[in-house]
Amino acid sequence: MTMIPLTTDLTRVRRPLEQAHGLPNAHYTDPALFAQERQAVLFDNWAGLGVGADVPEAGDARPVTFLGMPLLLLRDSTGTLRVFQNICRHRGMVLVDAPRKIEGAIRCPYHSWCYSTQGKLVSTPHVGGPGRNTHAGIDRALLGLIEVRSHVWMDVVWINVSGTAAPFAQARADLIARWAEFDKPLHHGGPDSRFELAVNCNWKLAVENYCESYHLPWVHPGLNSYSRLEDHYHIEAAGSYSGQGTQVYRQLTGADGAQFADFDGLDAKWDTAAEYITAYPNVLLGVHRDHTFAIVLVPEGPERTVEQVHLYYAQPDTDADLRARNTAQWKDVFEEDIFVIEGMQRGRHAVGFDGGRFSPAMDGPTHLFHDWVAAQLERHRRTHSAG
Amino acid sequence: MSTLDAALLAAHAAQDHPALVTLYARAAAQTADADAACFYLTHAMVFALELGDPRSEVFRAALVAQGREEAL
Repeated sequence: MTMIPLTTDLTRVRRPLEQAHGLPNAHYTDPALFAQERQAVLFDNWAGLGVGADVPEAGDARPVTFLGMPLLLLRDSTGTLRVFQNICRHRGMVLVDAPRKIEGAIRCPYHSWCYSTQGKLVSTPHVGGPGRNTHAGIDRALLGLIEVRSHVWMDVVWINVSGTAAPFAQARADLIARWAEFDKPLHHGGPDSRFELAVNCNWKLAVENYCESYHLPWVHPGLNSYSRLEDHYHIEAAGSYSGQGTQVYRQLTGADGAQFADFDGLDAKWDTAAEYITAYPNVLLGVHRDHTFAIVLVPEGPERTVEQVHLYYAQPDTDADLRARNTAQWKDVFEEDIFVIEGMQRGRHAVGFDGGRFSPAMDGPTHLFHDWVAAQLERHRRTHSAG
Repeated sequence: MSTLDAALLAAHAAQDHPALVTLYARAAAQTADADAACFYLTHAMVFALELGDPRSEVFRAALVAQGREEAL
């Protein structure tokens, strides 16, 4: 049996771009390191969990398993979206096992303890004996559903499981400011504007590929016909996000000349610009004059990830045919990436691979992500070896 | 087995929660025993709570009056 390395040498990852190597192989294959990154990278930061459109109406509840944790996206009767641990405070029974509408209260299927859609414990039947629903030892005020810190931005539901990250608006201040022009109602395109791609790779490889434009002419030749490599620029915000932009975004046009409506009040630069950014750790975002998208990467294991893709528009009513074409176009692009990210995953089993080198000219955004992951792990390891 | 018991079992089997609210409330009304009445009222309240049925407030109030439940 192979010994499980809980510490890896990250010094080469943290070198300047020109000398840096990628994260070591074990960070893509080793269950123990996957567990370490779960805490250091995903739980200690603001990670994407889902989207508001998953629970569009008051009372909507959607159970989600995130890194093994049973969670519940729940929109209360006033429309506020919260995230809770999807378990009863009594014996830890899972409360909601399928998406549904909560008409009144959530009733645990085991002993029928009941919770409001705000997470408050509202009944503990027979807790003091048959027909006696109170007991001095049971303080309902202390036994509401366990809430997970959450925030909704760009319709993505972000969670900070550890509760230790800076407030979302502070942690994401740079990106929120960069895309302030898109901070307005985003209208999910509906069932035809969401799809999932299950990929056999570590979630980080999907990020690494998304961050750079270097691969576009080789992997997406269709895009390259109008959006050439030299039309792209790097987006590099060390410690927070990175990605790429294009200066030649071209709107989709229907046979009758129809196009999606633009978001109101955009600067003229967005007439032809589009940007694609990874908000670390696991959310891939794209903005254009007439639509945005969000991809939440759900890590399911060291070598398994589900990409949840959602497309949004400036207006609630959009042309169905055009919307379907847009979804199909993006699906084609994201599917073209699968052989690459799965190929890199298989490559991570090559004994002796040193994490790879980066193009000093083209891979800056990807290296920033490696560097950030390494920094999170170093912080975590310092904290957990101090005592 | 009484007709009410049979109806309760059938409603449980069918997961007919609106019927359970009504049937448990009826069971509570039919017994003179306070403990049994509170037991049935509790069930009526729980299923009404789950449904968002406003009768849950009536059942709760009755249980609170008996010292068996907390007011919201």
